[in-house]
Amino acid sequence: MRKFLSLLAVWACFCMSVNAQTKMITGKINDLTGTPIVNASIIIKGTHSGTTSDALGSFRLPAKKGDVLVISAVGYNPMEMKLGGQSDLALQLATGNKIMDEVIVTAGGIKSRRREVGTANTVIKATALTAGKAVNIASGLQGKVAGLNISGTSSGVNPNYRLVLRGQRSLTGNNQALVVLDNVIVPNALLAQLNPEDVDEIVVLNGSGAAALYGSQASNGAIIVTTKKGRKGAAEIHVANTTTIESVAFYPKIQKKFGAGGTAYGLDLNGNPLFNYLENQSYGPAFDGVKRPLGAPLEDGSQDSAVYAYNPGHFKFWQHGITNQSDFSLSNGDDNSTFYLSGQYSTTTGTTPGDHYNRATVRVNGTRKLGNKLNVVYNTTYTQNRYDITSQTGSMYSQMLNMPSNVDITRYKNWRTDKFANPNGYYNPWYQNPYFTADDYRSKQRNDYLTANIELRYTPVAGLDLVARQGIATKNNSYKNTIGAFKYTTYAKNTDQSSKSDISASVGDASTYNTELLTDAFLQYIKKAGDFSVNLIAGGQWRQDQAKYVAMSANGLVVPNLFNVSNGVGTPGVGESDFETRQIGAYGDVRFGYKNYLYLHGTARNDWVSILNPDNRTFFYPSVDLSFVASDAITAIKESNTISYLKVRGGWSKVGQVNLGYTTGDAPDYGAYYLVPTYSSTNQGFPYGNLAGYSVGNTLVSPSLKPEITKGYEVGFDLNLFKNRFVSNVTWYDTKTNNQTVNTAISNSTGFTSLRTNTGQTQSRGIELTAHMTAVQTRDWNVTVGGNYTYLDNKVNFISAALPNLSLSTYSSTAGSYAVAGKAFPVIMGYDYLRDPQGHVIVDHLTGLPTKADTISFLGNAVAKNRLSLDLSVSYRHFHLSALFEYRGGYKVYNSMGTELDWSGTGYRTAAYNRQSFVYPNSVYEDPNKPGSYIKNTTVAIANGNGNNGFWTDGINRDVTSNYVTSGAFWKLREASISYDIPTSVFGKSKIVKTATVSVQGRNLFMWLAKDNLYTDPEYSDAGNDSNGIGLTGLNQTPPSRFYGATISVTF
Amino acid sequence: MGASCKKYLNINTNPNQATSATPELILPQALTATASTLNVYNTYGAELVGYSANAGGYGGFGTSITYNFAASDFSANWSNTYDNLEDYQTIINETSTQLPAYGYFNAVARIMRAYDFQLLVDAYNDVPYTDALKGTDNLTPTYTPAATIYAGLADQLDSAIATINATTAATGVAISALGSSDVLFKSDMTKWKQFANTLKLRLVVRGGTKVSFKNTTFSSDGFLASDALINPGYTRDNNRQNPAWNNWGFAYTGGDANKAWIPSKFILAFYNGNKLQDPDRGAVAYYQFPSTGTNQLGYESVDNPKCPSGSFWYSGSERSGTAAGNSAGILKGPNAGYPVMLAAESYFLQAEAAVRGIVTGDAKTAFNNGVKASYAYLYMKPDGTGASDADLTSMVSGYQSDNSTSALVNFDLATTVDMQIEAIITQKYIALNYISSQESWNEYRRTGYPKIVNGSADAVQTFASTQSQSTRPDKLPTRIQYPSSEGSYNPRNVPKNISVFSSLIFWAK
Repeated sequence: MRKFLSLLAVWACFCMSVNAQTKMITGKINDLTGTPIVNASIIIKGTHSGTTSDALGSFRLPAKKGDVLVISAVGYNPMEMKLGGQSDLALQLATGNKIMDEVIVTAGGIKSRRREVGTANTVIKATALTAGKAVNIASGLQGKVAGLNISGTSSGVNPNYRLVLRGQRSLTGNNQALVVLDNVIVPNALLAQLNPEDVDEIVVLNGSGAAALYGSQASNGAIIVTTKKGRKGAAEIHVANTTTIESVAFYPKIQKKFGAGGTAYGLDLNGNPLFNYLENQSYGPAFDGVKRPLGAPLEDGSQDSAVYAYNPGHFKFWQHGITNQSDFSLSNGDDNSTFYLSGQYSTTTGTTPGDHYNRATVRVNGTRKLGNKLNVVYNTTYTQNRYDITSQTGSMYSQMLNMPSNVDITRYKNWRTDKFANPNGYYNPWYQNPYFTADDYRSKQRNDYLTANIELRYTPVAGLDLVARQGIATKNNSYKNTIGAFKYTTYAKNTDQSSKSDISASVGDASTYNTELLTDAFLQYIKKAGDFSVNLIAGGQWRQDQAKYVAMSANGLVVPNLFNVSNGVGTPGVGESDFETRQIGAYGDVRFGYKNYLYLHGTARNDWVSILNPDNRTFFYPSVDLSFVASDAITAIKESNTISYLKVRGGWSKVGQVNLGYTTGDAPDYGAYYLVPTYSSTNQGFPYGNLAGYSVGNTLVSPSLKPEITKGYEVGFDLNLFKNRFVSNVTWYDTKTNNQTVNTAISNSTGFTSLRTNTGQTQSRGIELTAHMTAVQTRDWNVTVGGNYTYLDNKVNFISAALPNLSLSTYSSTAGSYAVAGKAFPVIMGYDYLRDPQGHVIVDHLTGLPTKADTISFLGNAVAKNRLSLDLSVSYRHFHLSALFEYRGGYKVYNSMGTELDWSGTGYRTAAYNRQSFVYPNSVYEDPNKPGSYIKNTTVAIANGNGNNGFWTDGINRDVTSNYVTSGAFWKLREASISYDIPTSVFGKSKIVKTATVSVQGRNLFMWLAKDNLYTDPEYSDAGNDSNGIGLTGLNQTPPSRFYGATISVTF
Repeated sequence: MGASCKKYLNINTNPNQATSATPELILPQALTATASTLNVYNTYGAELVGYSANAGGYGGFGTSITYNFAASDFSANWSNTYDNLEDYQTIINETSTQLPAYGYFNAVARIMRAYDFQLLVDAYNDVPYTDALKGTDNLTPTYTPAATIYAGLADQLDSAIATINATTAATGVAISALGSSDVLFKSDMTKWKQFANTLKLRLVVRGGTKVSFKNTTFSSDGFLASDALINPGYTRDNNRQNPAWNNWGFAYTGGDANKAWIPSKFILAFYNGNKLQDPDRGAVAYYQFPSTGTNQLGYESVDNPKCPSGSFWYSGSERSGTAAGNSAGILKGPNAGYPVMLAAESYFLQAEAAVRGIVTGDAKTAFNNGVKASYAYLYMKPDGTGASDADLTSMVSGYQSDNSTSALVNFDLATTVDMQIEAIITQKYIALNYISSQESWNEYRRTGYPKIVNGSADAVQTFASTQSQSTRPDKLPTRIQYPSSEGSYNPRNVPKNISVFSSLIFWAK
């Protein structure tokens, strides 16, 4: 209806003659958060003259001084304003009482009014998503949704993000939210491939209630992305360009007092260790500002040198990264069809020298009516990614840490031409020049995504829709990893302590494809009779996933720089695997309504899956929820001046999820073929000629694996106060997941290393709270503050008697992230020192040395218990400022890089006692006369507080996990942006430019870490994006970055 | 569900990996895996018993020179052996219901299981044995006392010999021969029985009176008289090289292998005249002998010799990585067989058994055969050709006359049982140098030979590290730690409070 009215208004506009006093008024309509309001109606009071706002909230209308404009839009309080002399207006509408009638896209692409929905959800509009101009949608969502934990788990030119709603349910299976793009289930990775500018809105369904329509994968909640459609009316062209600079925001804290050398080279008269020009470990004497040699003399007699004083060049290896992103879109439509076409091209250079990434996307979306009864929708997007990056981030980081901090790394950039930077002459014989490493170890990757879907909707009679959909998400991927050859000179190999060994060239090459097909067919029947309404959906879903991976490699490449598998010596390594899985679902979904304020909603689904044994392959799961709009039902509330809106809701659901194999990540196997143990034919070099040999696989499989079952409830309310100037919603939930499919490490003495079985239960419960307050609202000013808060109690209730704990991700099977019965999920386990009952470290009464415990113990929970986001939005006329802060706390993180820092002697801890002997802090020793009781230690010092083999490099320090477990708490300024809408008058009287906006924005601008965290961003996950073993950081992630940039966008 | 639905969903058959394998397919892989496992044990033994020392150009030796072993040190001993044991156990499980048809496979798998378990016991003392290798039936196996395992292994070896005999005697049944699956004895069942006897001899000699063996007699098949070498067809190719060559010689691409270790001054003294004169074995064992670069373990300084490409344990003159490797010596080449047990070890075990009265026989003959077998192995090339018997005899007699006053070489000069044992174990120490180093380490801990001077700073007098943190008089560790995986996944059963300086393997001195 609204659109019809708008059209009438437009028509009226054309018919009107523009008289002398009339001039063209332009304006822009935003909501209180700065989001443009699309399709708002602007009418001159008392006339038929009017128009509607476009996709950017802009409008043009001929009017004269004294006219009263009536501005209205669905979901907002209407507003009237009398025109003064202005010709360029910045208008804001407050969210109106009709908010509960706003239509949102929920599971299955079904449109529901907010008032009907009985479970928690969050809607993110396009402008909020792209305010920070994130290249990746996931980072654009960070901190914006209560209950949704998005962690940037890696660094680099296209970082990975882990999206978990309401905590982790599955011990070792997939816990990431389901991503649905235009009604098609797509791999999570696709979120990173999507052009954020194409997104119309994102609806986050926090709970598992969506599972009926999407199947069991939605048990982790769903993120439903809807892309833009074309709009009726004149063609609209949008172009924009964003340039973003990335710079390192945080470096590990290092000691700045001591340089190369150590006790291994002897002691001076004062007992201090000697300097050595080759040593990578910084256990030498204190810096003294004297110029000293660096490395052995070269063959020509020259010798590198450096001033023996702290040089901040240590970390300057990482440079500024630059991303340049260009956008184009075209939108058009008429009565029967709409059309949206877009393209984006972005190029990125990383903070690691030489890392490049570019991405190009095109999209075509359209709708078409065929007659009165058939409606066709189609969406297609193609994305191609090209990476050219180093494969050795971790070793380069380690190389840098093993560089005494008086050495300016940037001097070694030109390794091809500079003799001291060349591997032959590079001063450090054990650790390569990182610039050389970056150049020599390359990975070129291409991956192309095609995602498409078509939908036919047939409406034989009003109220009945028959819908058929076919979706496809396919990915073609290939990569080539290369290592270039380097032959050292005889001199370089044999000088001093050099252990330089020739590098043999090698190549690894792989091609893969994945295709995921999804077919849906359902009917929807809507009927209203008196006070009652019913909305029924029944249908079926077919899903087929296929993948193929082929990889090969060759070593000892013969012809230099010919990186082809045929150029190697010996037999090339080859591997091939194929996967195919299928799933059938039958579902029903019914919603009963009473008097527009009470809704009862139920769903039921049965799945049949190919990846379980026929006996276990079918499972059924129902859900039910209730929505009660108290502010409409109860007169007292309805008439209240304080309460504008109150909805009470609650739901219960059960979902089965088959958690086998890898369903997310770059190389999913979709859980195929996990039921039977396997034998490997390629171990130990087999086959040797005609002689084949098979080894027994190391994984045991228990006989009848079943789906994991999650049951739980949620209750909550949505409350708006003071004419919707205060908007809030609150949800409490509690879910339990049983029959965990666990792939756990077991004692080697069983003959195996891991066991796949169903056991254990996890629980996830918490509070999600969102609240916003419009503090100032005048014609020129608008200030909204608010935020969201998540409390998460995520724990493992039990696993099994035989498995007291379960490793999720570990470093050499010890320190790492574990699931432990009765503890948070997950926890960090590792070695600690032996402690007295009060927790003091027990040291030896003679040596002062602590003792490492025999077995690993609990060192802290790895999941953030409290997360808080605060956002601020300020508008003043054409200016708009927004900022988003996020806090996470109540958890620990194990920083594995600490062991490398202490090894190299650059670690801050190693200089805590000035490299002197020291008394271990807060320690006790056992009373020699009274075993079992402890005396506070203030006297017995550790003798060797220094040296290449002293306390800091020894296992007694570095093997003790607890030394590197720190608080994971942080505050981050996630996003900040300032934009300015350029008045169209500056473009002259031509009507070519409709709107123009310039903005500056930044992401992750500031990061405040806990005091004991000397290392890195606790958001990182060394275990990888798809592992539940969170809480571990390491050298494979470059130091965390901040991003800042500027955008100009113009609509024609 | 209808039949078509079932058909639609019945697609879960693995197209990528085998889901079953016959004993014929598992055995060759299992034996080859044993060779790889032994390479891990050889490295461990060589570091601990003084065959190798840290090379120049490298740092970071950590616990290798302090001996303050963490659970992660040498943990591959544990994981590789149990992994290999599961292969043998699978053969045993698959064949135990198919006797006598699969009797040979069954017996061979049990012999190799005994071999592997002895490796574990000698490294860790008590280990999971009775409860081990049971898969889901026991996820946290208890630890069986080491001496009990020894007794059990001896029984298993007897029983394996009986199974071989029963299989050979069986009539009316088609017997599956080992055929090409046997990459150790090429289907020679007599050698398997001799090998079993020799393994039992090793158990009985080492376990001594600390083990209640049920039966200390040996079958009439005799003991191993030739080198037991595993060779599936090693060649200069990706993952197909002799494991020791791959580890210490050259990568198949011609690139350098591990260059962090060089021979110790202690072991060179047995060749270069500092203790014994042995130019023939010295020259074939070591590159650039007698100027081979050596070091004392723990000594880290710039004047430390560096390891040459191909290492000092490869004596061949062809030093290009892509061509090297057709040589006599310790590292012979990429295609050489990997020794599971040298004939020399068998003879020295027989010699000791004769001295101790465990078997009847002439200790001196066995001793001299052991020395000669050592020459024979070292002078053998990868293709099996070697020095003639006459040459070997003359080299051995040259050795005896070069060291005419040494009771370590001339058995007649060893006049007491202690002297005889010292001679036997010391010669075994020389014969197994960098070949079966773990056995030398076991024998040192059991007998105290080769003799060292406790606490000496002289690299020829002791092989202990100069940076040893050991509290023992000999400045050596006594054992390694259980791997951390046991602490993590089997914490209730893993023995606690193990000290690498005071906890002893049950047979240790």
